Amino acid sequence: MSAALALQGVEKSFGAQRAVDGLDLVIPPGETCGLIGPSGAGKSTAIRIIMSILFPDAGQVEVLGRPSALDAKDRIGYLPEERGVYRKMRVGAFLKYLAGLKGLGEAESLKRSGALLERLGLPDVLGRKCEDLSKGMLQRVQFVGCLVHQPQLLILDEPFSGLDPVSVRLLKDLIADERRRGTTILFSTHVMAQAEELCDRVVMIHKGQKVLDEPMANLRRQYDRSRVLFEPLEPRAGDAEALRAMAGVVRVAGQDGGFELHLDAGTDPAAVMREVVARIVPARVEIARLRLEDMFVDIVRRETGGESVEALRHHLQGLTSGETQ
Amino acid sequence: MISLRRIGLVARRDFMVSVMNKGFIISILFMPLIMVVILAVVPKLMAQAGAQMDVEVALIDRSHSIADSLRRELDPATLRAAREAGQRRAAEQLGPAGARAASTVAAAQPSIANFTVRELPADANVKDQTDWVADPNLGKQQRRALVVVPAEAVVRQGDAPFGTYDFFEPRNLPQDSENTLQGAVRQALIAERLRASGVDPVVVRGATQVAPARTQLVGADGKQSGAQGLNRALPFIMGILMFMGVMIGGQSLMMSTIEEKSSRVVEVLLAAVSPLELMWGKLLGQLGVTFVAMGVYLALGVLALVQFAMIGLIDPLLLLYLMLFFLTAYLVYGAMMQTIGAAVNQVAEAQSLQGPVILLLVLPYILTMFIGQRPDAPFSVIMSFVPPVNAFGMMARLASTSPPPMWQVLLSLAASVVAACATVWFASKVFRVGLLMHGKPPSLGTLIKWARMS
Repeated sequence: MSAALALQGVEKSFGAQRAVDGLDLVIPPGETCGLIGPSGAGKSTAIRIIMSILFPDAGQVEVLGRPSALDAKDRIGYLPEERGVYRKMRVGAFLKYLAGLKGLGEAESLKRSGALLERLGLPDVLGRKCEDLSKGMLQRVQFVGCLVHQPQLLILDEPFSGLDPVSVRLLKDLIADERRRGTTILFSTHVMAQAEELCDRVVMIHKGQKVLDEPMANLRRQYDRSRVLFEPLEPRAGDAEALRAMAGVVRVAGQDGGFELHLDAGTDPAAVMREVVARIVPARVEIARLRLEDMFVDIVRRETGGESVEALRHHLQGLTSGETQ
Repeated sequence: MISLRRIGLVARRDFMVSVMNKGFIISILFMPLIMVVILAVVPKLMAQAGAQMDVEVALIDRSHSIADSLRRELDPATLRAAREAGQRRAAEQLGPAGARAASTVAAAQPSIANFTVRELPADANVKDQTDWVADPNLGKQQRRALVVVPAEAVVRQGDAPFGTYDFFEPRNLPQDSENTLQGAVRQALIAERLRASGVDPVVVRGATQVAPARTQLVGADGKQSGAQGLNRALPFIMGILMFMGVMIGGQSLMMSTIEEKSSRVVEVLLAAVSPLELMWGKLLGQLGVTFVAMGVYLALGVLALVQFAMIGLIDPLLLLYLMLFFLTAYLVYGAMMQTIGAAVNQVAEAQSLQGPVILLLVLPYILTMFIGQRPDAPFSVIMSFVPPVNAFGMMARLASTSPPPMWQVLLSLAASVVAACATVWFASKVFRVGLLMHGKPPSLGTLIKWARMS
């Protein structure tokens, strides 16, 4: 079966600035792919090219077996990063209008909209004007707008940005439903934890170029040999001090009721783990898995020589915008 | 591939939102209502409210000659006959069908004042009489005036020219009464000057008055084609209709595009429709709105013509041409306004870009007045082929007394279609890029860059 989405050598420049630079991407049907990278990396431009809202300067795009998304729009659900509503329109009319543009009949669109809104905790808003809803409620309505026609391909550009934790959870559940239904999902985010949680595969973009394209299963098998995670069976007051005093340990950070031990370069993590177990009875001790954030920071560090890496890490954790999902 | 279904849905939403808007309903209903009130009700009310005025005229006649003439001129029968003659002339100007219109207009005119002339001694004090004129204790329908005629106003002193007379009136003397009175004094003076020169004024008046010609407009087929007065106004009326239609549609398009862009709903829409479908849907939706507005005004115009039994003077083919040329003009200006809407973020930012487009719309509208007057002049002929003036120019020529040959109409229409296609093509390029651009409003150079980029 052909790919649900395929990009080959896609390039796009705005004046002197190259927003997307030779991007190749293949997403098989039913896969959930995370397009990750910091703001300004070229994620939204790539998505707009996929949606045929922008045309590439070079390269090929194939969406659901068609050479352009224009020929498959009825089968695509798209939630843009910059999303709005007709403020004076009623929610029901707005959703009916969007569903109508996707070829869905009036009765069916109202039935499905009602069910999805109920699922998202908004059972009584169909008759209300959009301007009467809060920002969080409107974002959920917009999400319904891109799902109501049951698309084969779902493209979500920063879907959780600005949402409260409850709404994020509700939306994640809905995305999980779509995955079960077999929908191919591409979603962009600059918060790595979201990608780790939701994706089958991760594609990293930096300055318009793809710098990583790996299945999450592979990434989960990669370990960071400079960090050891340790959780004592019976925590005591002097644990942190004891760990800090061990040879090769440069820093100890508290984490989820346990500790994260940062090791000196060249220190054997197995030796540290043996030493830890000998001193304190463990409930859990393991070498830390490599985080997407670390991989990305490492890639950027190699390119920039370490400049502003901390700011980038902060950004990728979503802390700057308060996204702590 | 362009989907007509999606274009239709966008057009329907835009149309419904606009026509259901309170502002639109009020403007569309109020404008005709105001016109009806101004044209039909106000004159009738004014005529009914204005009961007959009694004007007492004091005359200090130092020439000792014009009192009798002035009384004759202000005699009710004389004044009534003069008004009736004026109405007959107006009816003849409007053609045979205009008689009813003339009688309607006559019915709305105020009643003629009742004048009484009181001759004072030639040496009476003018100052005393001016106080009498301005007496504040007069009745509601009472007015006074003073006419002082010096001897030299009737008989020349040597080689000096004839003198004139002095006229004193209160502030509240109605305009029509003043006009009637002054006209009567002038006629009385002319009559007495002639008499003093030994000439019979009746003979002179008869010899110097020529009734207006019975004008018949004859077309190439020899048939009478209408009345001159209305025909001369038609190019102007067509110009107004096109101008209003294009302005209403263009403004609406710009505003709704700005709203969609500033509320960020546009990218949600672009998930479902292509930029070209969105643009065409909006163009057609607002075209429907414009047709509603123009339809209301046209229907009112036709009703007025039926009311005055002048409907036969409008060639149905003219309305067809109006629709065709309006359509091309709408596409040219509508696409331009839509481009502006897509390029800016707020209404305030649109003003600087809107200026040149409004100028391009006002210029042809102004030129219609000249083209309508001289439809065969080389300038008029050339302008009726040059977009974007040609749609207005050709309509003015078509509605004029000298319509152009068919090949010129078709050539102009073709030029309009080419201009509309080119503008919509350019607009679609800018529209696609502009919709997603935020930040400072672009210059014309930036718009061209966007078109290339797209």
